[in-house]
Amino acid sequence: MLLLQLLVNGILLGGMYLLLAQGLNLVFGVMGVVNLAHGAIITLAGLFTFWFATTTHQNPLLLLPVVFVVMLGVGVVLQRVLLEPVVGAGRRAELLSLMVTFGLSYVLVESGLNLFGSQYVSLPDLQTTWTIGGLAVNEALVASGLLGAAISGALQIWLRRTASGKALLATSQNQIGALSCGIDVRRMRAFAFAIGAALAAASGVLLILVIPLAAPTADTLTILAFVIVALGGLGDYQGAALAALLLGLVQSFVGYYLGGDAEYVVPYLLLIIFMILRPQGLGKAGRPIWSDKR
Amino acid sequence: MGEGTLSGDKRGRWAALVLAASLLAAPAAQAAGPIVIGASASLTGALAVDAAYHLHGLELGIAEANAHGGWLGRQIELKYYDDKSEPGTAVRLYTRLITEDKVDLTIGPYSSGVTQAVAPLANKYQRLLIDPGASLPDIFVEGNLWNIQGIATSTGYLEGMLPLAQSHGAHKVAILALQSAYSLACGKARQAQAEKLGMPVVYNTTYALPQPDFSSIALAVKNANPDVVVACSYYPDAVGLAQALQRVGFAPKFLAETIGPAEAQFTAALGPIANRIMSNTTWWPSLKTPGNAEFIAAYKAKYHEDPDYHAAATYSAIEVLGAAVAATKSLDQTKLRDWLMEHPVETVQGTFKAGPYGIGTQFKQYMFQIQDDGRKLIWPVALAEAQPQIPYLGH
Amino acid sequence: MSLEERRIDTVFQPPPAAAQEHAPARRRRALATTATAIVVALALAAPLFTSGYLLQLATDILTSIALAYSWNLISGYTGYLSFGQVAFFGIGAYATAVLVVHTPIPWYVAIVLAALLAGILATALGTVMLRLRGIMFALGMLGLARILGVLAQNIPFIGGAVGLTLPAQLTPIPVYLAMAAATLVGFGLNLFFSRSQWGLAAMGVRDDEGAAAALGVPTVRVKVVSFVLSALVPAAVGGIVAWNRSFLDPPSAFDPTLDLQVVVFTLFGGIGTLWGPALGGLILMLVGEELWAYVPDLQLALYGLLVIAVVLTFPGGIVGVANRFGWLRRRPILAPAAFPAVERPAASSRAASGSDAVLEVRDLTVRFGGVVALDRISLTVRRGETVSIIGANGAGKTTLFNAITGFVPPTEGAVLFEGAALAPVSAFERARSGIARTFQIPRLMDSMTVWENVLLAAGNGRRAAHAVDQAAWALATVGLEAMWLEPAESLTPGRQRRLELARALALDPTLILLDEVMAGMTRDEQEEIRAVLRRLKEFGIAAVAGVEHVIAAIADLSDRMIVLDQGRKIAEGPPEAVLRDPAVIQSYLGELQ
Repeated sequence: MLLLQLLVNGILLGGMYLLLAQGLNLVFGVMGVVNLAHGAIITLAGLFTFWFATTTHQNPLLLLPVVFVVMLGVGVVLQRVLLEPVVGAGRRAELLSLMVTFGLSYVLVESGLNLFGSQYVSLPDLQTTWTIGGLAVNEALVASGLLGAAISGALQIWLRRTASGKALLATSQNQIGALSCGIDVRRMRAFAFAIGAALAAASGVLLILVIPLAAPTADTLTILAFVIVALGGLGDYQGAALAALLLGLVQSFVGYYLGGDAEYVVPYLLLIIFMILRPQGLGKAGRPIWSDKR
Repeated sequence: MGEGTLSGDKRGRWAALVLAASLLAAPAAQAAGPIVIGASASLTGALAVDAAYHLHGLELGIAEANAHGGWLGRQIELKYYDDKSEPGTAVRLYTRLITEDKVDLTIGPYSSGVTQAVAPLANKYQRLLIDPGASLPDIFVEGNLWNIQGIATSTGYLEGMLPLAQSHGAHKVAILALQSAYSLACGKARQAQAEKLGMPVVYNTTYALPQPDFSSIALAVKNANPDVVVACSYYPDAVGLAQALQRVGFAPKFLAETIGPAEAQFTAALGPIANRIMSNTTWWPSLKTPGNAEFIAAYKAKYHEDPDYHAAATYSAIEVLGAAVAATKSLDQTKLRDWLMEHPVETVQGTFKAGPYGIGTQFKQYMFQIQDDGRKLIWPVALAEAQPQIPYLGH
Repeated sequence: MSLEERRIDTVFQPPPAAAQEHAPARRRRALATTATAIVVALALAAPLFTSGYLLQLATDILTSIALAYSWNLISGYTGYLSFGQVAFFGIGAYATAVLVVHTPIPWYVAIVLAALLAGILATALGTVMLRLRGIMFALGMLGLARILGVLAQNIPFIGGAVGLTLPAQLTPIPVYLAMAAATLVGFGLNLFFSRSQWGLAAMGVRDDEGAAAALGVPTVRVKVVSFVLSALVPAAVGGIVAWNRSFLDPPSAFDPTLDLQVVVFTLFGGIGTLWGPALGGLILMLVGEELWAYVPDLQLALYGLLVIAVVLTFPGGIVGVANRFGWLRRRPILAPAAFPAVERPAASSRAASGSDAVLEVRDLTVRFGGVVALDRISLTVRRGETVSIIGANGAGKTTLFNAITGFVPPTEGAVLFEGAALAPVSAFERARSGIARTFQIPRLMDSMTVWENVLLAAGNGRRAAHAVDQAAWALATVGLEAMWLEPAESLTPGRQRRLELARALALDPTLILLDEVMAGMTRDEQEEIRAVLRRLKEFGIAAVAGVEHVIAAIADLSDRMIVLDQGRKIAEGPPEAVLRDPAVIQSYLGELQ
């Protein structure tokens, strides 16, 4: 019974982690850009949701589609203004875009500090617990886990079955090839970043229902998201799902048997272990990670 | 704003000039300018919200002292800078206050972490530093000659919890502590206390922030089935822990958490499961300490909100300094320090009395509980506003 | 519009053509050195006429500059962006604190020991992490600081979350001097990188790691050493800061805003330059000291905006802007005052194997997943021979070259060079042992001059004087000595090809693999290259030219011709015979009529 509960908790936690990581994978897979502002977007969206829910007393889930669409637009603008100019810088593009998103993350976090203060905030909605056959299951975790899986699945379907999704996949695999197929690569890049950012914002709206968020700890979310993406294989979506699940399960069991500190250390320990033993991650379809195999 | 003084920088400079002139003219003559107290405050950065109370307490204390004629016949000025909640910045600012601005007296910064960084400066420059923000005991150890604690020690946080619980028949204890200086000290102290009282500690863990999910810890707590759960926490973990306990369907007879439950948002974030949670405080409005009612009234009049224990701590620091200056009739650092190490002072925060290495020995600890009609002081029993409501229900 | 389109200087800017060093320039150089010496002397004497707050501020400025200089080594010169300087800062801080608290070692010795410890840890870390791509490395370092902070919190011996208290001694002047010394060391390391072959190798890794390996640069070794060097000063700085504050706990030891500061200061000053970190650190610290009093809520946001603005508008930083006006330009490495007169340097010190066959490929098969790129290829190349390999698009020429040079592992079969199997030898070692190659699309180091591109290849394993001679000879052989100090990227395509050939020559090779060397060349350019190819024969170098289209340009130079089709060898023999072979014609044109 206990084991089952820990298992269920771990799976639900994994769902939340998957939610965290999705947007990052898309942006990296297509553009080779690691969006270091990922955690900041999540946190800002969550803080905004908190403000919305506490001032208008409406259901925060109403914000989900709104935030998604708005962030799409904002994402396109950000990509055009900040990242597109760097693309043409050849081999240095990767590093330069890393620095740009690095700077962006600080701008966003400081804005969050000024707008919403530095304290942790959380929403009491969706805190009811369902008991299914003796297992305690938290509504918010289920919602975020289910939505995380749903978004992941929808993303996969869109990428593999629709024309626009396939165009995006093509661009991520070979930009020049995609260009010669008539795909507007510039638009694809803007698209990818926008969706990545919108996914991050959507995660934030859901996350504030599960855990307290605060502007100063936005970068922890970025690191956690990166750990999942790295464990799964950079750009590999199935791998990320596996990695999120692994992380959730390990944390759930370690936390019970070894206490809070051990649980906290798990993501970083896993990162170290993987970097030494299997840097390409769990999945099979990730981008190359070795320095001499360009 | 970064820099601020009550009466402007220019007056300070003018005063310094006069001081220099009079010193040249008559070395033994009394200087005529204001007494300047230097401090840094975390006006911006991660700790900004509570630090406003910290600063207001200082300002109010000084304003009141000035209204009564100041000290040694001179008005008092506050010179403060924003340390942005950063220890490194605070160190530079205090160095500036001491060596450049040459303030007469100094008061410590807002949080334990920042105070820890600033404390060595007091010992290096041999200046008295009263620390109203340092609840952790680690500064006041061998080697410390100049820091004096201005608030109750964190090892005493929730020290009433275990005896109170035991008197109601509780036996098994679970202790959780956040990985931060003050909370670790608190956790260790509660562990030692449980052992002394003969109450078995059935679960004991530490954790770090940010901790996204307390489910596993809550399950482990439930499995150990304690009667009392004591959490030396901050705000988000206090919330997360309570939620997680409710999720696994476990309600200990007594649930006590530090810091978090004092925040206004705590009850909003948790809803009904916040009810009957107990917490600690170093000061309460209903206390009959000397000048407390007047302090609350004056604070309300000036800042249009109720003071909290941070404001009370800094206000009391001013009271303490004032008493020392009046008694020694000087601003000499050594004389002030020596006097303070020997004599108690009554303040709104209770009795100030410095013990070995400057630790505060007589500040009292209190406990409050969240009840239907608000937060009520429940311990010590003699000072309680209301009866504790037992058990904790968790829904 | 991309950066290239806007013709903005790239991040790491080469100097424009430098005139001969004549008297005024030398005088200017002497003036600059004297000025620097005066500034340094003043800085060291500062404690004599400042005190208290200003001295503390000066110490803080030097802290930032020292950290920026170290970051510049790994992220500027070597091109591996590291978001983890603070990891070594914290390690040094804790090592120093522990030594000071628990042993009688004085603090100024402890910081040196702490730096050594950081160096040892960096070696281990670097060996693991620098095998990975730049992005993984950057993010891994980001996580590392976090991991170390967590570790520090959980180890009671070093104080845990409570922290360590060091003896409180007021030593502002020794602290300042120690920080100044650390800054000088950081500057010295940068100076070394900007003037030496080692630095050149690092810049090669930055510009194009694969091409650098093909030029004989031991890329992993270069990266690890740069990484280790970049860890020493931050550790010492961390130790000094810990001593100065007399207190250390995990959040102050592993403070992430230090990373932001280091990045901003170096980027603003000029990343990858000698003076950038100092300028950036000085200006921004002074400006910041005043600015933050007015807008304390916006400090981090403004830093972030500055990073973005610099990257998008002037990625070369202040030094980059100054370069356009002729100031602070980088000196080409090891460039003598005038182009040296050359003769062919002493014959290759490589012992010939005695056998006639320089290259032997036996049943080489390379598969990528389900695709068979090479199918049991066997061929031999003899000393001094010119062999051309022709084949339609996709025949496998580049894969063959990649397998020979070590960029692609064979699935089956073997490659022997000078009689010895190449299998265990890494790419850069193959280049050093005498296998040179050019690339289908020239992969030149575009932050370097023509001279430096060739010097990079000439430098491996050679001492400076010999390297200079070798490089000069190689450049003269291809006829590019007139533009030896031009930025490599400014060359016409034909000259770029010749530069690639010069690089190959500079390796003193026994074998040169030429990949599509005639592609895209005009008639005149083809003639220039053909002239060089003829000279290869004179030098006794065996050449293998992989050609797709411009067969005529190379046919008469070839002793033998091999034809590949879809990974298989379908013909071999004298060029005239091969070119008339029906199977060959069919592979190019399709079905015979």
